[in-house]
Amino acid sequence: MSAPVLTARAVTKNYRLGKREIPVLRGVDLSIADGERVALLGASGAGKSTLLHVLGLLDAPTSGAVEYDGRVVHDLSVKERALLRHRHTGFVFQFYHLIPELTALQNVLLAQMMGVSMFGYLGRRAALRAQAEELLGQVGLSDRLHHRPAELSGGERQRVAIARALIAQPRVILADEPTGNLDSATATGVVDLMFAVQQQRQLAFLLVTHDERLAQRCDRVVRMFDGKIVGEEAATGAGAAR
Amino acid sequence: MYRLFLAIRYLLTRPINLLGMFGIALSVWALVVVVSLFSGFLAVIESHVQTASADLTVTQLPDWAQWPTLRDGLRDDSNVAALAPRLVHHGLVARPGVRPGPPPLPGRTSLHGGDQPFVFVIGVDAAAESAVTGFGDWLRNPEIPAALRAPAGSDPFAGADDRPRVLIGRQRMERDGLHPGDPVRWTYAISKSNEQGKVETDQREVDLVVAGAFQTAHAGFDGNNMFVREDVLRKALELPEGAVQEIAVRVRDESQLVPTADRLQRIVSRALDRGNQRSYGAVETWRERNAPFLASVEHQRGLLKIVLIVIMVVAAFLMLATLSMMVTEKVADIGILTAMGGTPAGVTQVFLACGLSITVVGVALGLSTGCLTAVYLEEIRQGLRWATGIDLFPLEVYNLIRVPCRIEPLWLLQVAGMALATGFVVSALPALRAARHDPLVSLRGT
Ligand SMILES: Nc1ncnc2c1ncn2[C@@H]1O[C@H](COP(=O)(O)OP(=O)(O)O)[C@@H](O)[C@H]1O
Ligand SMILES: [Mg+2]
Repeated sequence: MSAPVLTARAVTKNYRLGKREIPVLRGVDLSIADGERVALLGASGAGKSTLLHVLGLLDAPTSGAVEYDGRVVHDLSVKERALLRHRHTGFVFQFYHLIPELTALQNVLLAQMMGVSMFGYLGRRAALRAQAEELLGQVGLSDRLHHRPAELSGGERQRVAIARALIAQPRVILADEPTGNLDSATATGVVDLMFAVQQQRQLAFLLVTHDERLAQRCDRVVRMFDGKIVGEEAATGAGAAR
Repeated sequence: MYRLFLAIRYLLTRPINLLGMFGIALSVWALVVVVSLFSGFLAVIESHVQTASADLTVTQLPDWAQWPTLRDGLRDDSNVAALAPRLVHHGLVARPGVRPGPPPLPGRTSLHGGDQPFVFVIGVDAAAESAVTGFGDWLRNPEIPAALRAPAGSDPFAGADDRPRVLIGRQRMERDGLHPGDPVRWTYAISKSNEQGKVETDQREVDLVVAGAFQTAHAGFDGNNMFVREDVLRKALELPEGAVQEIAVRVRDESQLVPTADRLQRIVSRALDRGNQRSYGAVETWRERNAPFLASVEHQRGLLKIVLIVIMVVAAFLMLATLSMMVTEKVADIGILTAMGGTPAGVTQVFLACGLSITVVGVALGLSTGCLTAVYLEEIRQGLRWATGIDLFPLEVYNLIRVPCRIEPLWLLQVAGMALATGFVVSALPALRAARHDPLVSLRGT
């Protein structure tokens, strides 16, 4: 079998608070394969977000390694890591993090622009725009293209964020409590959508949550406690509508 | 690409940023318009001063200097076209029995002149003077009313009797209500060494008759000078035959003014050499001779520049305030921009681009409107006078037919450069603050 899309090897992360070093990750090993759906469960403060940031190259591990397709990437240059974040990974966060000045469509287009030069963008403007519109249609927002985030509901905002995460055709989606801010009916809709896309595109998917039922809809559940992985099991599939 | 796109979106949703842009535009506009006006003014004033001056003047001649000797030396120079001897003294000129008015407020004399009874009285040979300066034209200036004109013909000092006659600036004559034939009294002082070698000063008076008016383009000259025949002054000053105090020179080739001045200086020094280690006589170009006056106009332009640059500083602070506010608000976006594939440098550039867009648009706006305003200043002045009765620029005072204006490309470049540099600094400060912001802080927080 080929190397996993995403691997963490003995990753530790310490935060420095004044003179004290606070260990937040204490040696985490984890790998996710193409098309695999992994839930990361754990109490608040367990280090889930920190692990996700390290895996997404937003933060550097104190020790250990992060590999994409078997290649060590955590120590690449700032520019190369930025490029990998753009191409390889899509992020979805609890609080959407849409740019309030931009419409839904512009928020998605912005993610596309990150990867091209000004002339590259202007040259392919129509095509890129059509792509973004199509993707927003897929997440059910064809009639919300020109709405600003403030004019959208929580569920709609998260759908825009999902479209934005997918537009650059990443191979990995890292989602940090994507439904944490939504009511359960809306949450189910958003999760169904994410899983459907994941399935269709065969993406590696890391879902950080503390919702046990949601975790069980994944392929595998990884439990974290105090900076360490304390258990790993195949999901029961309970509550799943697969 | 995303930087410019985002920067423009940020700006467009915050109209308050237009304030900084208009501030920059306003300061650029003012710097262009006011300085172009002053440069034009300076150029016009300079040409007026030139028409009222001899190309070169030999001054600081000693008491014993002799016109025939100097003339013979100077006219050998190939670039000398004509020479005129002058005697120069000063004093108060007023109607007999009329007490002279108070001196003018400081600062008025240099430009306007003639508000004061104190004048230079220049003794000239009318024919020689006409060959060197515009003396003849000054008497025939069409602006002089017929009633004030000096006798036409070769001798403007001619009269029915042999009383000494004086030519007075047109504006002064009108203000004092003088007409040809009116008596005026010149009160002056002369200093002489007595037998013990002590210097004694005597007050003297000479009664003169007004011959008529003269008018150059330079009102300051007209107000401060009067002309009499050379021999009148020679007698008044008790100078010997052939005495000369100043020599006016016209050159053939104006582009050779400075080298000619140097050559004439050597001729004069040699002619006046008494073997006593002292050098007598100084040759000045018309520009050097009027340097204090021209410099005062230029000085005013410099002061205005400083005042106007203060507007730019204020605009810069305005921009700094609005940009800082924006960055404070928008650091929240830094996290997601980083997650989408932005580098810290790239994210900083978004904020830099905001400030630079404001600056560039402001500068472009200011330069274009500034140039337009400068070019159409005369039309604007007329429109304003027609609409409100206010005259922005009293043309008659400066002998102008339209508001002067000279747009200097170098100055435009300097203004643009200054504004862009200011804008860059002001944009960089908040952008650097954004650069130091940890993207994870915004991703973790609400
Ligand atoms: N910049 C930081 N400096 C110090 N401690 C931090 C920092 N970021 C996170 N932590 C700490 O790391 C621990 C794990 O945080 P986090 O990864 O957000 O947990 P989770 O997402 O599982 O709730 C928490 O105790 C938190 O206080
Ligand atoms: Mg968390």
